[in-house]
Amino acid sequence: MASVIVNVRPGLKLFQSVLTCSSRRAFGSTSVLMNEDPLKLAQLKDAPLKSLDDLLSSSEKNDGLITVENKVDISILTGVPQEHITTRHVRIWKPVKHAMQSGTNNTHKWKMEFESRERWENPLMGWASSGDPLSNMQLSFGNKEEAIAFCEKNGWDYSVNEVVEKQPRPKSYGINFSWNKKTRTSTK
Amino acid sequence: MLRLPFLRSIPQVTRVASLGARTNSTGAPEKVEVFIDGQPVLVDPGTTVLQAAAMVGVEIPRFCYHERLSVAGNCRMCLVEVEKSAKPVAACAMPVMKGWRIKTNSDLTRKAREGVMEFLLVNHPLDCPICDQGGECDLQDQSMAFGSDRSRFTDIAFSGKRAVEDKNVGPLIKTIMTRCIHCTRCIRFASEVAGVDDLGTTGRGGDMQVGTYVEKMFLSELSGNVIDLCPVGALTSKPYAFMARPWETRKTDSIDVMDAVGSNIFVTHRTGEVLRVLPRTHEDINEEWLSDKSRFACDGLKRQRLVSPMVRDSTGKLVMVEWEDALVAVARALQSAKGDELAAIVGGFADAEALVALKDMLNQLGSESLCTEEVFPMDGAGTDLRSNYLLNSTIAGVEEADVVLLIGTNTRFEAPLFNARLRKSWINNDLRVATVGPDVDLTYETENLGDSMQVLQDLAEGRHAFSKVLNGAKRPIIVVGSGALQREDGATVLQLTQRIAQNARVAANVGHDWRVLNVLQRVASQVAALDLGYKAGIEAIRANPPKVLFLLGADEGVISREDLPKDCFVIYQGHHGDRGASMADAVLPGAAYTEKQATYVNMEGRAQQTYTAITPPGLAREDWKILRALGEVVGVKLPYDTLTQLRARLTEVSPNLTRYGDVESANYFAQAVELAKLVKAQPNSAPLDVRQKTLEDFYITDSISRASPTMAKCVQAVKKQRQSKY
Repeated sequence: MASVIVNVRPGLKLFQSVLTCSSRRAFGSTSVLMNEDPLKLAQLKDAPLKSLDDLLSSSEKNDGLITVENKVDISILTGVPQEHITTRHVRIWKPVKHAMQSGTNNTHKWKMEFESRERWENPLMGWASSGDPLSNMQLSFGNKEEAIAFCEKNGWDYSVNEVVEKQPRPKSYGINFSWNKKTRTSTK
Repeated sequence: MLRLPFLRSIPQVTRVASLGARTNSTGAPEKVEVFIDGQPVLVDPGTTVLQAAAMVGVEIPRFCYHERLSVAGNCRMCLVEVEKSAKPVAACAMPVMKGWRIKTNSDLTRKAREGVMEFLLVNHPLDCPICDQGGECDLQDQSMAFGSDRSRFTDIAFSGKRAVEDKNVGPLIKTIMTRCIHCTRCIRFASEVAGVDDLGTTGRGGDMQVGTYVEKMFLSELSGNVIDLCPVGALTSKPYAFMARPWETRKTDSIDVMDAVGSNIFVTHRTGEVLRVLPRTHEDINEEWLSDKSRFACDGLKRQRLVSPMVRDSTGKLVMVEWEDALVAVARALQSAKGDELAAIVGGFADAEALVALKDMLNQLGSESLCTEEVFPMDGAGTDLRSNYLLNSTIAGVEEADVVLLIGTNTRFEAPLFNARLRKSWINNDLRVATVGPDVDLTYETENLGDSMQVLQDLAEGRHAFSKVLNGAKRPIIVVGSGALQREDGATVLQLTQRIAQNARVAANVGHDWRVLNVLQRVASQVAALDLGYKAGIEAIRANPPKVLFLLGADEGVISREDLPKDCFVIYQGHHGDRGASMADAVLPGAAYTEKQATYVNMEGRAQQTYTAITPPGLAREDWKILRALGEVVGVKLPYDTLTQLRARLTEVSPNLTRYGDVESANYFAQAVELAKLVKAQPNSAPLDVRQKTLEDFYITDSISRASPTMAKCVQAVKKQRQSKY
């Protein structure tokens, strides 16, 4: 029987319920201890079994999501080096329509991007090199709040560029021919 | 008894409307419900099908339609099916009717689009592989999305496709007119936004051509925008020709610093080189446009750059040295002088971070003579009241004005996009514009009131014929150019302007949220410098010649070696080897606006930041870092090591400098008028003048545009055009 002990850094309440489980139950091998009552054995080694009624009457509802009370900081778990957490600044913005084209499909998502660091010309091919692993990381989010939450979770300093909205101007084909000289089409 | 006067106060039209409507008591027009692909949407009457569809996120393909131009309705790409309509309708021109069911993806719509696409492609060359628009071409994209999957075009007679001769419209726009699909966007832009009615069509049907009829340069300071507007590759950028494909480049959002408007831009770059600059839509600043200098002067960023620190040797030559030696030489000079023998002049491209670092350092060394190159009268309230040096109405605010008085400014070349707003307002809102100063062409009708100071005095005392118009205005705006304030009697000009503005404000009886007085700044750094407490103008330095002079990007030649004592040590920090560097004893290479994350405050008082696109060339470094390192050597420890810490310091000095995107408005107009009464200077008899009068004066104004070959070509081309009989 082996128990798995996961070493968790101090201060991490989330994962402190150390996983200990009986290997026998996990593998389902019952041949060795046939003579013993499996239920009794389980009560000795495992977490107490719950009856169906216990489970149904439980106040905890499992809806597929884990709600965490406090703000989560996953930066110590992500494996991102410290220098790319504390020294980085994220910019969150919503792209505007590209000036060269009339399509607007790129304007629906919020983006986040890190500040750019030094790039230099690579002597081999003349291409641009960078020592920044995050230089090509541009993520999209459905809304601003999601992007902010993601940055907070990862411990990145961020700033948000707000969108300047404007009401569309009413347009009319008729004003091309109006007697008002200023909107009347002068050239064709 | 109570109702009657209330009803009377409502204008006649809305009253009738409100009585006519059954449920609507506010008098607002009743919304019309239409269905776009089954989705209901409520829109104002008069909304076009295309706009209604956009409200529910349905994008209808288009070529000729553009949001900021008039409706042409000639490309037919936006044809959609409307239920119970015999024919498909052009969505861009057709106003919606109540209960219309519009199908943007039905068989009929798709067939209509496919047909339009086929006709367009029959007359369009198959040169996408060598076309500069490739990758950002509306025709390419839309033929993929809506075109047919096979071609019926066979050149049976072997006569070739339709071909059109290319036009020469100047050094900025390359034309390949065979690619033109006759959307007329460029023509509409030229006549509506640019106000230069040079472009038009000749011929009909297959022989139709877009051009200038006679060979002529497109003489506009906004001409580059037609490159963006062109949905195909007929109009492309001449300097950018065959440079890169859009998917190979990186795009960094930034802010333009070639004027004080603070236009939002994309900087397109690849392998450490800025390839082009494009406008980025900001509704309150530049809309979707960009001036030619901002767009095309970026090739000046590669030339005349300072790439290494330099120190003047015993023979009087500037020699390249290591940073260490340069910093030690500069620090020695700074330490050798007493506090009051130090001075600094900052130029038009200095960012707020460098400005605050320089000020902190010199203040700690005991110097208070930190000046800006741009002159601004310091008499009266001077720069103590922020409202005195800002464009208080904001750029978008002029769209609400009904009378504008421009004093001593040529907005067309000092702030082209502000001028475009004025023109927009002149077209749509019947804005009345009067000018005091030389009679320049602002692309719209203006009344010139003369250029003498007497006109200003008459206006201030209400004696002028135009005073009646000004006093009758509901929302007046007075704009004084910072050029007019640089005269000897600049303080008087400002004082008179303040009085005119105050009189107009009282006459119009507008609330405090409407601002009448505006100052049009010309350089990007000025507002931030004045916010940080720099002295405007170099009078203090002339009065008390320094032993050590620090030039932070000061290249306009306001001070020369002759003005300084013989043993004066001049330090220049900046990015271009221009007038400042040539008179310096030590040169510290800094970063240009595309190479640093820096704060600039535009003329409205809106703080915005540039982002780092490329790395500064050679040994050049970000300006605030140089100053921080220099402080360390001098023995003045500046309390910031990172940009965040530096910005915290900026916030400490002036919180508006880090509230990015917000306009920090200013007040105390009446108090400024009272303080201005202390001004003693007598008005000068010289007429009010502007520095930039015609288009050739527009292109080359600062160290970046002086280094730009494209800008030099523009000046040449305009001069040549002036000799042409057309």
